[in-house]
Amino acid sequence: MGRLVLRRLLATVPVLLLVTAGVFALIHLTPGDPVDVMMAESVDDSVKTTLRRQLGLDQPLYLQYAAWMGKLLRGDLGRSIRNGEPVIENVGRRIRPSLQLAALAMAISLVVATPLGILSAARRNTSVDRFGTTFALFGICMPNFLLALLLIFFFGVKLRWLPISGYLDPFEEGLPGLRSLVLPALTLGLALAAVVTRTLRSSMLDALSEDYVRTARAKGLSESRVIRGHVLKNALIPVVTVLGLQLGTLIGGAVITEYVFALPGVGRLVVDAVFARDYPLVQGVVLLIAIGFILSNLAVDLLYGWIDPRIRHR
Amino acid sequence: MRASTPDADIDRRDFLYLCALASGALAPGLSAGTAGAQTAPRKGGTLRVGFYLEASTMDPHLSGSKVDRQIYHNIYEPLLTLDVKLGIKPGLAESWQQPEPKILILKLRQGVKFQDGTDFNAEAVRFNFNRMKTEPKSVRKGEVASIESVDVVDAHTVRLNLRRPDAALLATLTDRAGMMVSPKVAQERGAELERNAKGAGTGPFEFVEWVKDDHLLIKRHDGYWGKQGGPYLDRVRYRPIPDDTVKLQSLQSGEIDVIDYVQPRDVAGVRADRNIVMLDVPSLAAFSYQLNHTRPPFNVKALRQAVAYALDLDQIVKGVWLNVGTPANGPVPPTSWAYDKTIPFIKRDLAKAKAKLAEGGKPSGFAFTITTANIPINVQEAEVIQAQLAEAGMTAKIKLVDAATQLSDGNSKSFDMISYQWSGRPDPDGNIYQFFKTTPGTSLNWSGISNPQIDALLDKTREVSSQAERKKLYSELTKILQDELPMVYIVHPIEPKAMSPKVQGYEPIPDGMMRFKDVWLKA
Repeated sequence: MGRLVLRRLLATVPVLLLVTAGVFALIHLTPGDPVDVMMAESVDDSVKTTLRRQLGLDQPLYLQYAAWMGKLLRGDLGRSIRNGEPVIENVGRRIRPSLQLAALAMAISLVVATPLGILSAARRNTSVDRFGTTFALFGICMPNFLLALLLIFFFGVKLRWLPISGYLDPFEEGLPGLRSLVLPALTLGLALAAVVTRTLRSSMLDALSEDYVRTARAKGLSESRVIRGHVLKNALIPVVTVLGLQLGTLIGGAVITEYVFALPGVGRLVVDAVFARDYPLVQGVVLLIAIGFILSNLAVDLLYGWIDPRIRHR
Repeated sequence: MRASTPDADIDRRDFLYLCALASGALAPGLSAGTAGAQTAPRKGGTLRVGFYLEASTMDPHLSGSKVDRQIYHNIYEPLLTLDVKLGIKPGLAESWQQPEPKILILKLRQGVKFQDGTDFNAEAVRFNFNRMKTEPKSVRKGEVASIESVDVVDAHTVRLNLRRPDAALLATLTDRAGMMVSPKVAQERGAELERNAKGAGTGPFEFVEWVKDDHLLIKRHDGYWGKQGGPYLDRVRYRPIPDDTVKLQSLQSGEIDVIDYVQPRDVAGVRADRNIVMLDVPSLAAFSYQLNHTRPPFNVKALRQAVAYALDLDQIVKGVWLNVGTPANGPVPPTSWAYDKTIPFIKRDLAKAKAKLAEGGKPSGFAFTITTANIPINVQEAEVIQAQLAEAGMTAKIKLVDAATQLSDGNSKSFDMISYQWSGRPDPDGNIYQFFKTTPGTSLNWSGISNPQIDALLDKTREVSSQAERKKLYSELTKILQDELPMVYIVHPIEPKAMSPKVQGYEPIPDGMMRFKDVWLKA
C-alpha cells in the first residue's frame, strides 16, 4: 500500500509541472497586466514602469517562470501583487469556507442520493423510481445560479428562515455559522445528489442483474441483505469515482455558488485574481487546487482497493 | 424620469424631497423620511451596507477604486468638501484664499486630532502632499501635479505654491487628493496602512477591522471635532456582495440596510417595494465610447461623425438604461455647474450618417470592432448600437473583454471603438482634461486625439478662475468635441441608492459617495 501511494505521488510531479507551466503561460498570454489594473486612474507612466520593474514584470517570461519555480522549490509561493500578502496566507484564509461548504454539500448529496438511488434501483419502474429519476434529471439540468437564486428567494426573502449571503465560521459561531452555509451547500449538494442518484441507480441495476445476486436470492437471503451485502458494495465503485472527482471541483471550482452567496472561498479568490491579473496568486491557487485534485483522486484509488479487494491484489 | 440639476434656490430638504419624488419613492418610505426629519436623531446601532465589490486599499493616496472612496469619506476627511449642489464647502480647511493665481492659502481648522491622538496641523498637510507627490505607488501624482511646493505659514496655515494656475484644484481637494492621513501612522506603519487604517484619519468614524472578502467595520469616533450633528451610528459594517440580485434581495430581507446602487433592470421592482426607500442620485458619471484616432477607420473624422449620427441615444437610454439616466451631450454631466443645457445631444440622422460615410470615402459602409466589458448592460448597449449602425450601413463586431483586457487594449490603443465608463469628478476638469489633452505615452486619452485648438482651450480652463468664464469655455469645448468626436457620449446615468426606511438623515451628494456622519437608525 505504501509503495502504491509513493508511486502515485511520484507520478504526480510531471503533472504538476505541466499544470504550473500551462497556467503560467495562459495567464501571462492573456491581455492586460496587474499594474494597469492597480493604476487604472493613474496617468503617470513612470510610476507604472517603476512598479513593473519592482515586480519583475519587465523580465522575459522564461526568467519570470524560473524565478517563480525557484521560490516554489524553497516552499515559497510568493506574494499577491494586489494585497502584498503571501499567497499561502490568502489561500489559508479562503480554504476553510470552501472545505466546509464542500463537506456540507457532500453530506447533503449523500443523505439525499443514497436512499433515493437504492430505492430507485430496487423498485424499478415504480413511483419511487420515477420520482428518483425525475429528481436526478431536474438536478442535472438546473443551472446552479438559478437554483441558488430560487433558494434565496424562497428561504431568504419570502420565508426569512436562512441568511441570504455572507459567511460565518461554524466552528467559531456555531449555529449561525452553519445556517450561513445551508443555502450554498443545498445549491451544490442537490446538483451533486442528482448525479450520485443517477450513477448509483444505474450501477445498482447492473449489479442486480448479476448471477451472484440471483444466487444470493436463491439461497433465501432477504432482499435487504442482498442489497446491502451483495449489490450495494459492488455498485459503489462508479459512485466513489464520481464523488472523488466532484470533491476536487467543489473545493476549487464552486465559483458561481461562492459569487452568488458572497462566500469568501477559493473559487472566488482565483477568479478575482484572474480579473486583477494577480499572477503569483493565480499560479499559487491553481497549483494548490491541482494538488487537491490529485490527492482526492489518490484517495479514490485507495478507496477502490478497500471496497473491492480484487483491485488491491491486481 | 430624468436626472435634473438641483435648482439654485432650493434648500437641502427640498432637494431630498425632489429626489425622493423623482425616484417615485412610495408613501411609506417618504413618510418615514419626513417623520425622521421631525424626530430627533438617535444615537446607536450598526448600519449594514452592501457594496458590489470589496475595497482595494485603505490608503487614499494609493487608491484607484471607487468603492474605496465610499469608505474613505467616513474615515478620512478632505481639506474641502462638497455640498449637494457640488459647491465647495470648508472641510479640514475652514477657509481658503487665492491672492494670486499661482498661490492657494488654506486656513486649517484648529483643535482637530487624528484618531491616533496626534494633531492635525499645517505640518501634517505638508507631509501629506509630499507623500502624494513622492510615494512610488501614489496614484495621486497627476491630481497634485500643479502643486510645486507647500509652505507652512504657521501651525494652522499652509500656502500651496502652484506651477501653473489650476482652477480645478479646489474641487480636486474634496476627494482623495485632499484627504489627510496621520503622518505618524504613515511613517510608522507604512505599507500596513493599505490593510489597516487604525488611527489614520480625522473623520467621524474610525477603522476597526477588515476581514478580506467578508466585511469591513468602522465605529463612531467619539473624539470627532465636529460638534454639530453626528456621528450617531455606533458602527458601519460594509459587506461585498458581488451579485446585484443577491445584494438587492439581502436588502429586501433585512440583512443589510443600504445598497450603493440599484441596477436599471431592478429600479421598477424596488419602487414597487413598500419596504424600501429608493433615492435617484443624479451622478457625475459619463458613459461613452472612445474612437481610435490613430488608425483606420476612425482616423477619418467623417467616419466618426457617421457613427454619431447613426446612433439614437434616446432609444438607447430608454431601451437599455430604462430611463435611469439622461442622453449625454458631452463629458459635462447635468449635475455640474458647467453643464450647458442649450447644447442638444447629437440626434440620429440616417441621411446625414450616410452622407458622412460617402464623405469619408466609404459610401457603402465599413466594418469595425466595438470593444466592451462583458457585463449584461454593456453587452445590451453594444448590441443596440450594433443594430443602429447596421441601419446606416456600418458593420460592428462586438468584442467582449474583462476589465484588465479593456485597460490593456485602451492603453495600447488596440481598438477601433471601446466603451469607457467614467464615474466623474466634481470639477469638469477631471472629466475632460486628461481625456482630450495631447499626451504622449499612456494616458486616459485612449482615442489619441491631438488637436491644438482643444489643447489651448483646455489650458485656458485651468487658468481662468471665474466660474462663468470657465462655463463658457466648457460649452465651447463640448461643441468642438461633438464635431471632432474623440468620444461618442451615450448617457449620464443616475445612480439609484436603496435603503431601509429606518435609515434617516442620508444626504445624497451627486458624487455618489455615501457619507454617514449624520445618518441614524430609527428604532
